[in-house]
Amino acid sequence: MGIVMKSVVPLLAVGGLLGGCATPPPQTNAAAYQAYQQQNDPLKPVNKVVYQFDDKLDTYVLKPVALGYIDVTTPGIREHVTYFMRNLLAPGQLLYFMAAGKPRDAGTTLVRFLVNSTVGIGGIFDPARALGYHHVYTDLGLTLAGYGVPEGPYLYLPLFGPSDVRDAFNWPASYFMTPTFPAPPSTGLTIFSDSATTLGLVNLRARLHGTISNIKMTSLDPYATFRSLYRQHRAAQLNEINQRDVATPPAWYPAVQRKAMKHEDYDDNN
Amino acid sequence: MAAYFRRVLLGAFAVIPALALSPIAIPAVAYAAAPSATAAQGFIKQSGAKLVSIINGPGSSDQKAADLRSLVNNIVAVDQIGKFVLGRYWRVATPSQRSQYMSLFHQTLAYNITTQIRAYKGVTFTVGRVSSGPEGEMVSTVVTRQDQSPAHVQWVVETVGGEPKIVDVVVEGTSLRVTERADYSSVIDDHGGQVTALLDAMKQQLSRMQAG
Repeated sequence: MGIVMKSVVPLLAVGGLLGGCATPPPQTNAAAYQAYQQQNDPLKPVNKVVYQFDDKLDTYVLKPVALGYIDVTTPGIREHVTYFMRNLLAPGQLLYFMAAGKPRDAGTTLVRFLVNSTVGIGGIFDPARALGYHHVYTDLGLTLAGYGVPEGPYLYLPLFGPSDVRDAFNWPASYFMTPTFPAPPSTGLTIFSDSATTLGLVNLRARLHGTISNIKMTSLDPYATFRSLYRQHRAAQLNEINQRDVATPPAWYPAVQRKAMKHEDYDDNN
Repeated sequence: MAAYFRRVLLGAFAVIPALALSPIAIPAVAYAAAPSATAAQGFIKQSGAKLVSIINGPGSSDQKAADLRSLVNNIVAVDQIGKFVLGRYWRVATPSQRSQYMSLFHQTLAYNITTQIRAYKGVTFTVGRVSSGPEGEMVSTVVTRQDQSPAHVQWVVETVGGEPKIVDVVVEGTSLRVTERADYSSVIDDHGGQVTALLDAMKQQLSRMQAG
């Protein structure tokens, strides 16, 4: 019975996925076909089901919890929680930046992690920013994008929301790359790690509260709006990483040359 | 002789596209050219100051909303944005659908401004650099609201009807008009390419917003 269930359930799932593919309009209808290609959402029927599920989950669980959290915290506390979560992700991001060949961002991330983990009391404060090391962001998907991996069809993931084939493993990957993961297992660490993840999730939802309710109120098709926003946001993140990818003037260069190599957006502090 | 004449004529035709591309010819051809960087920056500075003075100034919410709507109609190229948002369906729509759409688009915008006015209390902003983008001059600003971390907002400015106007707002890398276009065209696509479906959805949304 167990074996039957194990083999049948994935088959059913695959069948469901294939059955859930949207039928493209005929190529003779050029405009409609082009629009379909641009949407790049062949799994739309399945995605929409997951979207409905996530929407219900959000309405009845995540949103009330986030509202309660907003009620008992101040904006200052929420900001420090954001700093703390960012700091937990920093070691993983350091590896990503190194793998992507972005030495400048890798250096920034390393200094930020060292300074914020010590002077910033475990990342609750962000003193590195005052030293001129501003927060930089990357993840697995953005690193793959740097290698030229295309984003692939749009995916709407259970719990995690908008994604695409390239970004599908961002969340699990970032989980395995937190500093607590490779540490020897202990009950205390598990409790810490799980509460940190939960707190981070609630904090993120609280931060996005205004934006999400705004979109749900003003857009005619929230699903399509979230899809468009997600793609634009990813493109902007990638663009930012590439724009920042300029050589750092070495310290022994003469001042004139250092000035000439300065990047006007990112060298305001050195 | 005829062959020579033909060669001259063909030569002239060949030169025409090059002329149209040359900088001298552009002011004559372009109807929505980008203003100069300083003009765009000055325009955003001025408009922003007006906006902040209305939001943070005295007066009732209704008065503020009315002031804001007239300001927005002055500084934003609403018709151009509306046309962009409808995208390829603009060509498909009948003249009556177009005018109905435009009026609904203006109304929706007005309601969005009214409902969001409270969220923008205590807003301040600083104008930063200007960069030339493919769509026009992009003026960078940092908008700060009460209890919120500062947001990077870029304003795309074009010359419309001889005056600088805002044609797009880019918040943290996401363009308002591109997002709106995705939203609206999805409604039309889901209803077999019928523009009427969008008009109905917009009407429904308006009545919902008026009720709530």
